[in-house]
This record gives sequence, structure tokens and C-alpha cells, in this order.
Amino acid sequence: MMELRSTLTGRIALTATATVILLFLALPIVVILVTSFSSNAFGSFPPDAWTLSWYKALFADGSKWPAALSLSAFVAALSTVFSLIIGVTAATALTRSELPLRSAVYALVLGPLLIPQIVTALGLFLLFEPAAMLGSPLAIALGHTVLASPIAVLILIATLRGIDERLEDAAASMGAGRLTIARRITFPLAAPGMIAAAIFSFITSFDEFYISQFLSSVGTVTLPVQIYNSLTFDIDPSVTAISAILIAFAILALVLVAVVRWLGSGRQDSLLSVETATGIATPGGETV
Amino acid sequence: MAATLAGTPARPRKLLASRRTRAGILYALPVVVYLLVLFVYPIFSTLFLSLKNADGSLTLHWYVDALTGVNLSVLFTTLRISAETALFSLLFGFVLANAISRLKPLWAGVAMLIVVVPHFISALVRTYGWIILLGDKGLVNEAMADLWVPGAPFQLLYNEIGVVIGTTSVMLPYTVLLLYGVMRGVDRRLLAAAASMGAGRVTIFRRVYLPLVAPGLASAGLLSFILSLGYYITPALMGGPNQTMVASLINQQVMKQNQWNGAAAQGVILLLLTFAGLLLVKLVTSFGASRKKRSTS
Repeated sequence: MMELRSTLTGRIALTATATVILLFLALPIVVILVTSFSSNAFGSFPPDAWTLSWYKALFADGSKWPAALSLSAFVAALSTVFSLIIGVTAATALTRSELPLRSAVYALVLGPLLIPQIVTALGLFLLFEPAAMLGSPLAIALGHTVLASPIAVLILIATLRGIDERLEDAAASMGAGRLTIARRITFPLAAPGMIAAAIFSFITSFDEFYISQFLSSVGTVTLPVQIYNSLTFDIDPSVTAISAILIAFAILALVLVAVVRWLGSGRQDSLLSVETATGIATPGGETV
Repeated sequence: MAATLAGTPARPRKLLASRRTRAGILYALPVVVYLLVLFVYPIFSTLFLSLKNADGSLTLHWYVDALTGVNLSVLFTTLRISAETALFSLLFGFVLANAISRLKPLWAGVAMLIVVVPHFISALVRTYGWIILLGDKGLVNEAMADLWVPGAPFQLLYNEIGVVIGTTSVMLPYTVLLLYGVMRGVDRRLLAAAASMGAGRVTIFRRVYLPLVAPGLASAGLLSFILSLGYYITPALMGGPNQTMVASLINQQVMKQNQWNGAAAQGVILLLLTFAGLLLVKLVTSFGASRKKRSTS
């Protein structure tokens, strides 16, 4: 934005304000990470003394955290499987075939991302309560998939659109069947996108709160609901430790997505470069 | 869709059309069936429930109930907190996105990382971070006391200040990402053209830049407003009784009072408000698209 670059003081003021806003986003996270090692979890910040006791307390006898953690992991794994099945098929339908009412299907997919999650949660409660499925991990996973699958569909649509269809056509022209094309061409090229879709589905389910709260029972409480209960009803200082673990987990997942994307980005280029080298065409579509 | 080369025959679509249609329907089946059963049907059953009495007869009683007395004031509180959140997310989002769009790629990348990473960390965790930060002995109040700010420590928790701070930090990544995209999309030649015709910085900003990003600003603001409407994690944890949101009330009515019909009516009201917001977003973006076309042609 060279044209708008203003005076030096203006620029310094803008940079300073932007830094404060970035701090506003980062500070709550940094504070949790530091406090989880503080000897006084509810006391002053920065801490006076350091400890690992909150992390030890997480796995002490009678702690509610291991059960909540494993339930959330199980539910998220189930939901990831469902989302991938739905995501792969839906993205194939929307990018690789003729689909009547395409825009209606697309709107249906976007729906759960746009309407308030509390309304979806209430609707699912009304569906599962009469079926006596409250507290069932399957019901919670089915519910989470309503929110996670649209994200998987969107990521996989972008992935499939990014794969040059001519590669599939070329394989077909050489006599490869549909399954061979899917297995040898499309799947390897789409793998990074599928891993990204799986990770985002897992995070979505793992962090989901509203549906979990409506569908959980006394015996089955997911991690976010347990954190909410700890912050509302009983004061449990080990909540800082579990929060810090969740932060580490989210950052790890994002790093994983970045690595997978980076590794995957070279693949299609190497396949297409044969074409470019022979002087037929570039991926941009200009004839040479 | 890959561009077809000039001279090469396009895919023989006609021949395959029926097979491709059948394949399309088959592949679309899982998502359509899934969302019809677990998303569309439940929402319609919510709608029907909100219109029924205990004996099954039709009534508008639950809507009257949802729009009177305490429930009405909770609705107003929800609208107010959502509007305040949208306003601050938009303001902060505009400044931050604008600053990032001027940065060199490396620093822009670092700044975007600080925006995106929190977005993927549970809102509960971030809210808890704010609770630690904003307490009487929290970092914010301690810092203000150290700087001899008169009146410190301030009551920053369990009131609307805390709620708006917390909710804004949850919604801000959305607005920054949206506005950054809009700002990157501004045709810089228009700004250069204005400058070449002698317009000053302020004039360019006010007469060229702002009108170009205005539809983006409007839709980013509306989006954070819509997202705040159904949100209650932060208000419930950082607010007091005066910051109860509709979504929180829905939860209480279902879990504590077994008052499903009333909860359903409030859910439908949230749904209608959301649809109204989305309709406005659509109007604003199509208006923006037509204006952009005119200004560049």
C-alpha cells in the first residue's frame, strides 16, 4: 500500500496499535502456559515459584481428567472417520461429476457452519433424547460430525480442485480403470488434503462444547464440558495444566498440517513438469 | 477445473453425462442423507416444538413468553453484547488487517500466525486465560497499579467490560482474516490513479480506499455479530447475571427446567436473527460487487 504510506509518526502509531492488538490475541494463551507451572494457580501473575504439581494432579487418583480426555479422543476419532467418509464422497460429487441441485447441496453443506451452534445442539438433543442416546459416545460423535464434516468437505473440495484433471484424463487415455485412477493418481495427490481434513475434523470435535453439553450425561463428560464445569462449579487448579496441554496439542496439530501441505506441494508439480518440459502446455493453460 | 487447451478436444461430456450424473448423485448421497437426518430434521423438529402446547395443540405462547419479561431483556442483552463485540472486532480487525497488509512478507506471516493459532485453541481455554489476566491481582490490574493509573485495581471480571474483552478476542481472528482478504483484493492502481490526480492521503483513504473496503467491513461486522448471537461460553464464565445470553438461557431451560418448548422458541428466534444477518451480508456483498465493477470499468 505504497500510496497510502503516511508519515513516520503515523506508521509508528499504526505499528504500535497493531502490536497491542496482537498481544490482545496472544496474551491469554501465554498466561495459561506460564500459570500452569506456577505454584499459585489462582494467584498473582507472573508467578513467584514454579511447580509441576498441577500436571501431576491431572493423573492423580480420583481425577476426572483422564476419563474426559479419553472420551474426547475417542469421540473425535469416530467423528474424524465419519467426516472423512462424508468429505471424500461429497467433494467428489461436487468437483468430479455432474450433480443436479449442486448449489442446494453446497448450501446444505455450509448450513451447519452458519447457523448458531446452540440451535444445532438443541435440535440434536431433541433427536437423541427420545432415543435414550444421551451420554452415548456414538451420539456425541454423530453430533460433532454435523459441524466437522462441512469443514472436511470444504478442504477436500479445494484439494480436488487443485488437482489437474488432465492427469486423470491422461491415465484414462492409457487404459487405466476408474479404481486404478483413484488409487494411483487422485488418492496420492489428495493425501495431504485428506490428512489436513482429518486433523481439522479432529480438532473441531475435540474442542466442541455446545453439542457435547447437550448430549452428555453424568457419566460421560467430554473434556471441554469438564473444563467448563471446573471453571463454573468446582475450583480445580489442575485446569490450567489441561488447558496448557490443549494449547500444545492445537499448535502441534497446526504444525502437522503445515508440514503435510509443504511435503505435498511438490508432488503434482513433479508430475506436471513432464508436460511442461515437453513443451505442450503449462498448468496455467497457455499453449506454447 | 483445469483450463482446456485450445485445439484439444474437450472431455466427451455429452457421452458420459448420464453416467456422471448418476455418479454425482451416488457420491452426494452420504452428505445429503447425513445432514438431512442430523441437521435439517432436528431444526424442523425444534420449529414444530416451539409451536406446540403440552397437549399437542398449536400455540404462539412460547414466542410470547420468549419476547416478554426477563426473556426479552436477555434477548436485548444478547443483541447489545453481540453489537459491542462486532464493533470492537471490526475496529481492531480493521487496524490489524491494515497494518499486516503493509508489512513485509516475513513479518506479515508472523503476524498472521499470531492471528490464526489462537483461532484453533479452544475458546474455553482462551477465556480462562482472560479470567487470570483480568482478576484484581491479574496482570492487567497489576500493570495499571505499577503505572499509578488512578482508580486501579478496576473491576474487570463478572461485568460487561470483561465479557466484551473476552468475546471480542474470540471473534477477532474471523474479522482479521476476512478483512485481510478484502484489503489484499483492493486494486492498488485505483489508489495510484487518485494520487496522480492530486488527491491527498486523507482524500484517497476516505474517497477511494474506504468505499472499496466498505462492503468487506460490513460483512465482517455482521459475521462477528451473527457468531456472537449464539455464543455463551465467555459471557457465562466472565459475566454476571446481567450478561446472560439467549444461548445460555436455552441451555438452562433444557437442562434444569425441562422447558423444551420455550427453549425451542428462543432457538428459532436466534435462527431468524441469523438469517436476517446473512441476508444483509448477501445484499452488502452483491452491492459491493456491482460497485467495484463500475469503478474499475
